[in-house]
Amino acid sequence: MKTKNKENTTWRRLDNSAKIFPISAGKKYSTVFRISCLLKEKVNKEILKKAVKEALKRYTSFKVKMKAGFFWYYLEENNKDVIIEEEKDYPCKYIDPKKNNDYLFKITYFENKINIDIFHSLTDGGSGVVFFREIIYLYLELMHPDVFNRNDRLLRKIDYNTEDSYMKNYSKKAKGNVSSKKAYILKGKKIKLGAISAIHEIIDADKLKEECKKYEATVTQYLTAVLIYSIYKGNYEKLKSKSKRPIKVCIPVNLKKYFPSKTMSNFFSYMTLAYNIENKNKNIEKEKEEKKEINNTDMFIKILNFVKNEFKEKLTEEEILKTMSANVKLGNNLFIKSIPLELKKILVRLSYIEIRKYTTITFSNIGRIGIIGKYKDYIEYFLMLIAPEPVEKIKCSGCTFENKMVFTFTSILNDNSIEKEFYNFLKEKNISVQIESNEVLDDISKEN
Amino acid sequence: MIYPKKINASHSEIIVRLLLILSLLVGILLTIINKITSPNIPWAAFTNCGIIYVWLVTIYSINKNVNIAGYVLLQTILISLLTVYIDYRIGFKGWSLSISIPIIIMVANLAMLILTIISYKKYLRYAIYQLIILLFSILPAILITEKIVTNPILGIIATGISLLNLIITLILSSKDLKEAVVRKFHM
Repeated sequence: MKTKNKENTTWRRLDNSAKIFPISAGKKYSTVFRISCLLKEKVNKEILKKAVKEALKRYTSFKVKMKAGFFWYYLEENNKDVIIEEEKDYPCKYIDPKKNNDYLFKITYFENKINIDIFHSLTDGGSGVVFFREIIYLYLELMHPDVFNRNDRLLRKIDYNTEDSYMKNYSKKAKGNVSSKKAYILKGKKIKLGAISAIHEIIDADKLKEECKKYEATVTQYLTAVLIYSIYKGNYEKLKSKSKRPIKVCIPVNLKKYFPSKTMSNFFSYMTLAYNIENKNKNIEKEKEEKKEINNTDMFIKILNFVKNEFKEKLTEEEILKTMSANVKLGNNLFIKSIPLELKKILVRLSYIEIRKYTTITFSNIGRIGIIGKYKDYIEYFLMLIAPEPVEKIKCSGCTFENKMVFTFTSILNDNSIEKEFYNFLKEKNISVQIESNEVLDDISKEN
Repeated sequence: MIYPKKINASHSEIIVRLLLILSLLVGILLTIINKITSPNIPWAAFTNCGIIYVWLVTIYSINKNVNIAGYVLLQTILISLLTVYIDYRIGFKGWSLSISIPIIIMVANLAMLILTIISYKKYLRYAIYQLIILLFSILPAILITEKIVTNPILGIIATGISLLNLIITLILSSKDLKEAVVRKFHM
């Protein structure tokens, strides 16, 4: 934390990414993500409470509340107790600080599952996992003191800070990439009564890797291609859309892989893949004439090649630096800085309605969640979820634990066709997929 | 099962449609009763406005994620007080007691009834507000028995709807209602 005030409470500035979230967030745009851990035993509320309390002593950057300054929000130390509740609501709902002792994360549990919902201003998915993993370790150590010697693990010093790594690493000279084309927006009715559907496709990670190898693609590339294919089949084609806008997939990038940083604050950027349906359709039509027939596999291979190419072009340090620097420069702009917070809120919320039209879907893959030694024996798998929004009605996320890669669709769209196309595609490739959901939408594994 | 049970999207679609039809039927029924019993006083127009008002409040509350029951209770009390005050200021003819308050109570009970049916699984958070609204709903009956109101028809309908609300609540959520009372009033 940056400074100390008279009441001895500490505070810190929001990092460059975090600044935007409290300004734009609301009940409809919660900007909340969730990480869940499925244990092999029922959760004990009291032990969980103790574990969270202890984890907060180690990761004090999470023990904060949001305060409004004149120009920006900032984080201040929070000395209240954390509230632990049984899960009742839909996942990734807006975290109302007033109902949560001012904390920016919420811990809930249900049967064997522990959830952490995190407001994105606090941190990103990568650091969220670090904090959540600590809670799980502490929980298991408190539950099974005979199995785990917690001192062994706790003696290891954790090395982190809360610096704004954007400011440290951005380049003033780098020029940003401007995308001017609006994206294809998923069509269909929204689910009534404010409900959010969560569908988890639990994929056999080894089989998936084997399949990816066949195409010389990474797991993220392959699943991105399956996602675009599913959107095309399950939404664009099914609803006979005539939109000429491209399917744009936003893929968050963990900047810690590219720049040195030990921050627990946000440090991510993103890249956007724009798959142009119109052109692809034209190509397909041409080929139809040429070959008389084109099957779904050919179409998928085309999409996958496009995705691989985009990754190759956009996932370079230079390109990432461009995107990151453009965002930092915007936040650093003296004019923007000098606008009072209340006015900023109005301007940002108005512009956000427009900005959100530039993405069809987001897919965030946080990768493998590493768990040490015997702790693994008590865990089934992890889940990652991102809050859907009125424009971006479906958001996708993925994480892997041991041999289980869980691909999650969180949706407010009253139609599970995309999820079903995704499931059927993997099944056709003989990849084992198991479905878990909150049953807001029908079970896709049981449908014809 | 890794999530608490939630209403399926196709069910919620049906529920919303059924409630719309129910609202329409209640509106038509009250208009017919109005025409038959007291055609000189167009109170059905107010009840129908109330039904529309309930829908607006419900949509707002769902979007804003606020406790609808608390919202309904607050509005019931405030609007009741406001109408009594207006009646008093313009010479107290008693319309606030014989028309406004029964209509407000009717609408509040209908709103709570809808809420109970839709979300009886998380009823606990609404129970105390529901109980207060039910207690407040005794008012028209008291006004009628004490002969304070001259035209009791709306008071009778309001009491009937309150009783119906009470019965359905007891059938669906008596356990939660009991738990809420024990929790709030423990010594």
